[in-house]
Amino acid sequence: MNLTPAKRLFVAWIVLVAVTLIYLVIDGAVDDHGVLVASTEVSVAAITLALVKVRIIMRELMDVRHAPKVLRTVTDALVVSMGMFLLGSYLIGSAIA
Amino acid sequence: MTTIDGVAHDAEVTRNDEVGHFPGDPDMWLFVVVESLVFTSYFCIYLYSRTQQQQAFLQAQAALTMWVGILDTIVLLTSSWAIARCVQHTRAAQYRAARRSALATVGLGVGFFALKIAEWVHLIGDGHTFTSSEFMQHYFFLTSIHAVHLIIGFVVLGVLLYQLHDPDRRSHETVETCATYWHTVDLFWVVIFAMLYIVR
Repeated sequence: MNLTPAKRLFVAWIVLVAVTLIYLVIDGAVDDHGVLVASTEVSVAAITLALVKVRIIMRELMDVRHAPKVLRTVTDALVVSMGMFLLGSYLIGSAIA
Repeated sequence: MTTIDGVAHDAEVTRNDEVGHFPGDPDMWLFVVVESLVFTSYFCIYLYSRTQQQQAFLQAQAALTMWVGILDTIVLLTSSWAIARCVQHTRAAQYRAARRSALATVGLGVGFFALKIAEWVHLIGDGHTFTSSEFMQHYFFLTSIHAVHLIIGFVVLGVLLYQLHDPDRRSHETVETCATYWHTVDLFWVVIFAMLYIVR
């Protein structure tokens, strides 16, 4: 599908809003009384979805898709390293606790 | 084909289609990378801390309202879309449309800031302050430091609007650099939102 830049940008925005609304679905980590409970699944999903959105913002809205390879590589490496550090901190912390 | 300022342009054929174009000043991208790493370091401390005191964090986190965070995020994502349209219009030399998109970005940014202030007032009114719990310390610190970036973003958008207004000062690179800064404010919020409102 060959979208114009304006339409492609609009589709990216729709996807970003849709991914944001997924949080309403995964936000079910509550007990019978509606009190929040800890959930590794919800936390990992939240961090992963946030990083998916970060990459879409960089690639589509910030136009990294058309940037030189060095910028595409650096931004992808940044998203991957953020994921490793954030998930690592949460999972290692949970294991120690 | 459309005609703007006496010059013929195909509205949809822009420099956006060129492969290898650096969007904005490389120094701004250095800022994006360094700031992302600084924020990531803070998020790591936050995540580790909350795993060590899960119940206390969950109890304090319950004071936040999910739909407010969702609305904040959608408003800021829409502002990011608007500033990206501003860049596309500028590349197509459609400066009037570019100014309209930039003004929409400012309006949405103000809307986000108003929502944030309303949330702060509501939380403080309910007795949740910087010193009431460790979660609230993180909440007020992260949302405040983000608000500082947002306020700097308004200054950046002011520069962009001034440049678009004056034909002698129009620079595609400056518009792209200003847009890159604004997107950075958006992507920091995307992660802050997940950290404060969703992570359990």
